Amino acid sequence: MTRGTRLRLVLRDVASGCAFASMAVSGQLPLWTLGLFAFALVAALFGKRLFARRAKLTALLLLGVAAVLAVNVTSGALNLVVAACAFAGLISAHRLLSAPDPATDGQVHLSGLLMVAGGAALSGELVYGLFLVAFSVLSSVSMALGVVEAAVPEGEPIPVRAVLRPLGTGVTFAVAGAMAFFILFPRLNWNMTGPRAAPGLGPATAGFSNTVRLGGAGTIKDNPRIVLRATLSPDPGVDALGSYWVGRTYDIFDGMEWTNAGGVRREREPLLTLRPGGDNLIHQRVELLPAYGARTLIALETPSRLGNAVANGSTGSRRTSLQELAGGEARFLEAGVSYAYEAYSLPPGGSGDSFRKLPSEEQDALLALPEALDPRVAQTAARVLNGEREPLAAAQKLATWLQREHAYTLEQNGEREDPLADFLFDRKAGHCEHFATALTLMLRTQGIRARLATGFFGGERVNDGYVLRAGDAHAWTHVLVPERGFVTVDATPPAHRPSQGSRLLQRLLGLYEALESRWRNSVVDYSFRDQVDVARALVRPPKGAENTARSRLPPARAWGAALVAGMVVYAAWRLVTRLAGRPRPHAATRFVDAVEAMLVPARLVRGEGETLEDLDARLARERHPLALALAPVTRRYLEARFGGRPLRQGEADQLLRALQQSVAAHVKLEAQRARASEPRARAS
Amino acid sequence: MNQPARVLAAAAPSPATARTAMERIAAELGRAVQGKEAQARLVATCLVSGGHLLLEDVPGVGKTTLAEALARACGLSFARVQFTADLMPADILGAQIFHAQTATFQFRPGPLFRQLVLADELNRAPPRTQSALLEAMAQGQVSLDGSTHALPSPFTVVATQNPVDFSGTYPLPDSQLDRFMLRLSLGHPAPDVEAKLLATRGRAPPLDAVQTVSSPEEVAQLRELSAELRLDGTVADYVVRLARATREHGDIERGASTRAVLALGAAARTQALWEARDFVTPGDVRAVLVPCWAHRVLLRSAVQGVAARDEAAHLLEELTRKVPAPR
Repeated sequence: MTRGTRLRLVLRDVASGCAFASMAVSGQLPLWTLGLFAFALVAALFGKRLFARRAKLTALLLLGVAAVLAVNVTSGALNLVVAACAFAGLISAHRLLSAPDPATDGQVHLSGLLMVAGGAALSGELVYGLFLVAFSVLSSVSMALGVVEAAVPEGEPIPVRAVLRPLGTGVTFAVAGAMAFFILFPRLNWNMTGPRAAPGLGPATAGFSNTVRLGGAGTIKDNPRIVLRATLSPDPGVDALGSYWVGRTYDIFDGMEWTNAGGVRREREPLLTLRPGGDNLIHQRVELLPAYGARTLIALETPSRLGNAVANGSTGSRRTSLQELAGGEARFLEAGVSYAYEAYSLPPGGSGDSFRKLPSEEQDALLALPEALDPRVAQTAARVLNGEREPLAAAQKLATWLQREHAYTLEQNGEREDPLADFLFDRKAGHCEHFATALTLMLRTQGIRARLATGFFGGERVNDGYVLRAGDAHAWTHVLVPERGFVTVDATPPAHRPSQGSRLLQRLLGLYEALESRWRNSVVDYSFRDQVDVARALVRPPKGAENTARSRLPPARAWGAALVAGMVVYAAWRLVTRLAGRPRPHAATRFVDAVEAMLVPARLVRGEGETLEDLDARLARERHPLALALAPVTRRYLEARFGGRPLRQGEADQLLRALQQSVAAHVKLEAQRARASEPRARAS
Repeated sequence: MNQPARVLAAAAPSPATARTAMERIAAELGRAVQGKEAQARLVATCLVSGGHLLLEDVPGVGKTTLAEALARACGLSFARVQFTADLMPADILGAQIFHAQTATFQFRPGPLFRQLVLADELNRAPPRTQSALLEAMAQGQVSLDGSTHALPSPFTVVATQNPVDFSGTYPLPDSQLDRFMLRLSLGHPAPDVEAKLLATRGRAPPLDAVQTVSSPEEVAQLRELSAELRLDGTVADYVVRLARATREHGDIERGASTRAVLALGAAARTQALWEARDFVTPGDVRAVLVPCWAHRVLLRSAVQGVAARDEAAHLLEELTRKVPAPR
């Protein structure tokens, strides 16, 4: 096997591996198919074609595999699309291990295409895109080498280097062309039947369940995945927002976990009004990223109105209704990978909720205590408060005491019979849920109404908006203050409220999330609408220019863009002409092209490697009737091309006309002869 | 019979007159060795290009006759040296002879000091003698005992060797083969020519029929004209590409040298004169490619002699089909 052939096969196999990887990144293929393919690929790369001898017999193995997959599909263990993708991968594996003849090569490339299509159905993520490009480049190069190999006579070396250079240029152009095509023609979203994996690294939060349980597992405070992006107006303009973003509240504590009274309040609301707003509402345009992994809406404390929600799923984006649950929780009715919505919140200072408007069971719950509450809790609260009855002042006094006397720790203490007493009196250390629970219940023992709130704390400035990370998840206390409604009091030590993750990891993840979001917005979900938006952004008058005199001409931006586009086109044209590198054909070369085209009707065609000079000499040897007519033309061509005596103005036409006449006469004569011989042939 | 040659010698030749002169020479060669017109033309081409000629053939096909006929047709002084195993360099170069009367050494030139030297069966001489000859071919002069003696002009060597019988021979090294511009083999004549020979040969030796139709001066002029012909840049590039193709070819151990490239250019120029052209075309290059390069490329395969030449010729012809000619 020559080096060229080996290179071609390695490229082919690696391309096939890339195609398989484009499906595998979805994480949905069964593990055993991954193993089988990896084994086949490694064996093929080492040149071990195990199935070369028994191609048909080993094809029976595929039947067995198909049966296993079919059983999995019918039993519901495997999605049909996933099974089809896995099968395509195994066909490819079988072909990789077969003898490398042209038919097998074609089948490997074809199965590669199938796998890439499968990968598109299964994920379509950034990593998929990278594998897709790698597959296209490698298999194009491999196929081109195959074509060259077929053209080179047996036993001769394949001019790999000479081929790879123009091929590399060609592939670069093809990839660039594909990108240009992609930008010019928006992607059509079609409904794929296959399930899409949660993109990227998967959800990062435990989500919002209907309960908060003390002890056991909780949200990890150092997870730096970004779960939410929001742009606020009016823009606070600070780097660290330090605000509370509430998800839901809880009012019943049974000694172990927090729950709510009541169920679904309102179903299918396009716009959810939780409480009346005032003049100075804060508007938020919020995007919940795939890492969020829950359906609960998040908004700055205290949310007033939520709406305009869009769920982005595998089949594109669509509007979704909201529902209101107990605890002031708003949920998307339909599940998506990520969400976008708008929210209005009251400025901090109190929710404005009137106690009397709350449902009666919630009113009761705000003072309820678990049956088996440790009596020391009430005693300690009374001791710390020392007669303070004003709710807010009491809450702050207790919070200060908690922060002073208790340490913050992320280490879970495991399941305890009474986690609250354990936190307050034994361990004297815990995380935000312990602090918030302790404060809430201590207030209640003193007859002050309070509840637990969960959500996020913080807000880190990125570009024009703020992001929240999974580690920003937090719990705090709402204290009911007459005339003001619920007021936030946080018992957790301030240093431990926002995310605690490492800076470097946060940066790296931020970069990944930004790339992922860019890919999602400008590749996967890129649509005709986005194109129109880009075009509109160019011609729309700049912000703040409404007051200046309006002009009918497009703004300077449009002119600039047109200029840049023109320059890019010009540069591309220059590059293409330079890369093509061919000087304009010599006048004599164009002449000889015309001569040769003229000779075709007389069935005079150059042989392989034959020039017009050779053809002329051959005709002269054969005493061909056209030799006489061709000789002066050939002579003149040679003079013009190699003798430094260029063709004069109109000389080429003159010579060609003369030759044309001779050729026409010759063809006519031949036709007459053929006709003359025809009847005789029939008669005989 | 020297008349037309003198007339020609007076006026500077044009491509058309050069063709006539060369055709005359070739016609005389054809009288001596019948039925070998193509080879006769190549012999004339080699002479006009200023190169040396290697004739490889079995004995008895007219190699020696052809060389003698060339000398006679062009009016060149001629010497024939039969190369044998005991031939020493002094036997061909000449020697210093002591004159008793004047008590001095005097140089007595050897047979090499002729305008046309036939080195018969060159490969039978020991390498020392071979290299003495080949050095003289390359330099155009002989250095002996510290003094340099110029060889006459034009100076052409026609060497012959038997490509089949290698017993008792010293095969020419490839570096030496490279010094011959063209290599030819005559091959057996066609049956009708052989029959005609039988009928006529008895009457007169073939060389008697050859007349002097040219002169050393005319040959020198033709050489000058040939060297001045236009070789277009694209054609030069074509020659270089052909050379590169031989160097990169998988079956060729060593491709054409730079000397081979120059020789091909010179031979192609003279080839253009046959068409009375004052410029070289790719067709001219291809016409002389095989006689010019077949003996210069070293093949990877182990074949020797005639078979090696045939295979080389085959490879070169294949290259002319593969390497695109300028259009």
